[in-house]
Amino acid sequence: MSTNEKTVSKAEETKDKKAEVKAENKKEELKKTDKAAEAEEEEDEDEEEINPDELFKHRESIPLTPENAWFSASAGGLISLKVKNAEGEMEEFERVVIRRSFPVTAPNEFLSVREPDTRKKGRGSEIGMIRDLAIFDKDTAAIINAELDLRYFTPEIKKITAAKEKFGYCYWEADTSAGHVSFVLNNPFGNIRKLEDGRILIADMDGNCFLIPDPEALDRQSYKVIEIYI
Amino acid sequence: MKLMYDLPQADKAAYDAAAAGEKMMYCVPFNMYEDRFVAGWTVVTDKHIYCILDGKILTATDLSRCTVFSTEVLYGNCAFYASIDGITTLICRFLSGRNLSRYSVLVNACESLAEKLRNKEDPGEPVTNDERERFCPKCGRPFVAGTTVCPFCRDTKEVYKKLWALTKGLRLMLFFPLFVSFFTLAIQFILPAIQKVAVNDYLTNKSIYREDISLADPNLQAFLLIFVAIISIDLFQRAIGVLQSRLSAISGNKFTLMMRTLLYEKIQTLSIASISKKSTGDLMGRITGDVGVVQGFMTGQLPSLFSMAASFVLALVFLLILDPVMSLFVFVPLPLVVYLVYRFWDIMQRRNRKGWVLGYHVNLFLQDILNGIRVVKTFGNEEREIEKFNARTNRSARQNESNAKLYDTVFPLLSFVVRFGSYLILFYGNYKLFTGTMNYGDLHQFNSYANIIYGPLITITFIPRQVSAFLTSLGKVLEILEEEPEVADIGLPIDIAIEGDVSVKNVTFGYDSYNPVLQNINLEVKKGEMIGIVGHSGCGKTTLINLLMRLYDVNEGEICIDDVNIKDISQNALRSQIGVVLQETHLFSGSIRDNIKYAKPLASDEEVVAAAKMANAHDFIVNLPEGYNTMVGEKGYSLSGGERQRVAIARALIHNPRILILDEATAALDTETEKLIQDALNKLSKNRTTFAIAHRLSTLRNADRLIVLDKGHMVECGTHQELLDLKGFYWKLVMAQRQGSGFKKKKEAAPAAK
Repeated sequence: MSTNEKTVSKAEETKDKKAEVKAENKKEELKKTDKAAEAEEEEDEDEEEINPDELFKHRESIPLTPENAWFSASAGGLISLKVKNAEGEMEEFERVVIRRSFPVTAPNEFLSVREPDTRKKGRGSEIGMIRDLAIFDKDTAAIINAELDLRYFTPEIKKITAAKEKFGYCYWEADTSAGHVSFVLNNPFGNIRKLEDGRILIADMDGNCFLIPDPEALDRQSYKVIEIYI
Repeated sequence: MKLMYDLPQADKAAYDAAAAGEKMMYCVPFNMYEDRFVAGWTVVTDKHIYCILDGKILTATDLSRCTVFSTEVLYGNCAFYASIDGITTLICRFLSGRNLSRYSVLVNACESLAEKLRNKEDPGEPVTNDERERFCPKCGRPFVAGTTVCPFCRDTKEVYKKLWALTKGLRLMLFFPLFVSFFTLAIQFILPAIQKVAVNDYLTNKSIYREDISLADPNLQAFLLIFVAIISIDLFQRAIGVLQSRLSAISGNKFTLMMRTLLYEKIQTLSIASISKKSTGDLMGRITGDVGVVQGFMTGQLPSLFSMAASFVLALVFLLILDPVMSLFVFVPLPLVVYLVYRFWDIMQRRNRKGWVLGYHVNLFLQDILNGIRVVKTFGNEEREIEKFNARTNRSARQNESNAKLYDTVFPLLSFVVRFGSYLILFYGNYKLFTGTMNYGDLHQFNSYANIIYGPLITITFIPRQVSAFLTSLGKVLEILEEEPEVADIGLPIDIAIEGDVSVKNVTFGYDSYNPVLQNINLEVKKGEMIGIVGHSGCGKTTLINLLMRLYDVNEGEICIDDVNIKDISQNALRSQIGVVLQETHLFSGSIRDNIKYAKPLASDEEVVAAAKMANAHDFIVNLPEGYNTMVGEKGYSLSGGERQRVAIARALIHNPRILILDEATAALDTETEKLIQDALNKLSKNRTTFAIAHRLSTLRNADRLIVLDKGHMVECGTHQELLDLKGFYWKLVMAQRQGSGFKKKKEAAPAAK
């Protein structure tokens, strides 16, 4: 409800501004008498018919809470959303995508809920933002978490089982939470990143991302492999 | 690119059972299922899409119910979706680097298949794609970007062969030091033998000592001869050493010069696409650092490695011949010593690398902050930056301190261990001396050979690392040399004199083939026309002109100039007849005159002045203290954005190009200067085809035609008036800009009214 009130007050504000502008224009009219001023004023009036905000419409993003947003698993294994939008109308989305604003530092906060990008329409716009996933009930959080787990696929490395370097490329094999993998790093110093909280993020040549939650907790052999890069 | 993989047996059986009578069109892998990595298969037939995993059909999707297909790049994986009865459904997930291009082809292929199925048409043959496979067919690991080289499978022998080929013409010079080092080696072994004679026969031989010794004494003569021999051998050895060093200095420099030239030439011929994927620092590192490592190894470490190895083996043999029992004292501690030395260097190497990384981070930090010192100051963050720097530099200092402490403690101990063999020899040798089974000379000779073994022990343990560093650097150098330019001239390119007709036919292009930036662009431009290109940022305007200049090759369709496909025109001929002014202007270090003449090195000063005048740059240049000779560039006189822009325009105009490309060329200028330049450009563009991109639409008011791009498609094309009447996309842009400027006007007017 509070959002609706805000929108109303915003609309009133813009009306007020327009009224002010008109009043000023009238003052100017009185001052300016020559033809040039008249021409200019005509142009101004011409422009006033078009509101630039309406030329390129953008959806207004709203805070999403259990009171105005209902997430559900879609028939296609993705997420559907029913939402009461800024105008207080109910809207349904067959599919929404959820992006983390801070995937590294705050994975469960500031979740951006968006229309999917399409080839025809381009980038989808933001429907709203979930300030903190904790405000939703368990079932909803589980649905959203399942989607996030798909979208941010970062298996944890448990053990580096083999490491070979050849011509500057690192060929590693590791046991991860998603199974045993072998992967290649072309620039280990750039692709192995130490995060602020001490975790280690590894991006390989294939587009994989791996996480090491605590490098010190690894076994000695594994630690020795990554030690020099961090 | 492979779109039809062979199914493994179990999966094939499952497929055969489920899809009897269907025609397999595509079969590509998928890599993730739920929360784990898998080796699954997506099979598209003429009726269904099957996902097969571990001999089971996971899903079977009826193609006729599908409409839109799409891929999405997620984090650490990608997804393939189909819209089934209007409901977006996840089909499978896969790795971006491996399969994104494959699935992008599938998106279009499946859409057309589904369409045909609904219309009951024949599905036709599967589409093929000639994009180069980026994975090694042998091991499946990725190739080096832009090549078909798999570093993992690559035979080291082949790399040496390539290097051998590179040394052509320098071989004699490179290998002469090697021969010389064998020569010094021989002397190294002769010297102890002579010394032995001197010690045994003369120094310790009391029977030849006499009070009344004269030069006529044969003993003294023989001794003097030996004495002279020792001195001259030593001198000779040093002379050869000088010769060897001089030769390796010459050959080393020649080799470096040759490698650098080769690399630089190669980098110049590579396409923008592949260069922009590498950082400047990385390329510089390869030209300077890696070439240095390769050269150092070839001319420094390799010869010494050879002579060390040879002397090691020889010394062993000599020791065994001289005294097999005493040799044991040399051999027994050897493995332990080698092991200890190796372990020590292993630990030191790791610690040093850590120290190096920390130091490197301090450097990066400094570079970053010093470049942005204005920002630091304007936000008043000096204190915080000082703290951050201290933290980093402290860490680096602590690491270096601990490294140095360890080294200084362990190294002397290690040297002692290394010398321990000599002590054993001394002990046993003296025992033999006392018992009279050995004389001084033999002991001396033996000890000398033992030192030959222990001497290089510390350095010899470096060798594996040096070889690995050398191979890494060599690999990096070869990577560039082996890269095949993506945009290359055809066998016999045409040098044409361009008139200026340009036609763009059905052009589709993306920097990554799976992500088209421009789609199906068609455009016919007559000689002398001025075309304005308009659209939101990111809609493909700059990409279109990149294609016109052939900085990239189109994926589909063709671009012709004067009815000749630009792929058939030599890149030199093409670009020398196109003048380009970009928004970001780079002026090279040198004078303004040099910079203007860059496009036409033989231009006369008249031409320089004329071009500058056309670009409205003459006035400000003449007012500079050194006029046209003012130095600009990184360390030169700092020109304002507008001034640099005008110099760049003069540079583009000096060779009188038939086609002129202006990419936001006047965006950095104030309205008045822009107008002046616009007028100049209008005059200039009379007889030449001009493509101009501008966000400020007023800049394009003189354009003959405007094309409007939106999300990679050409949505509108026509004159300013035509497009306004259309009340479409362009009209919206114009209105939005007018509104914007109108709003400003009112804002300025408001305080005046008070």
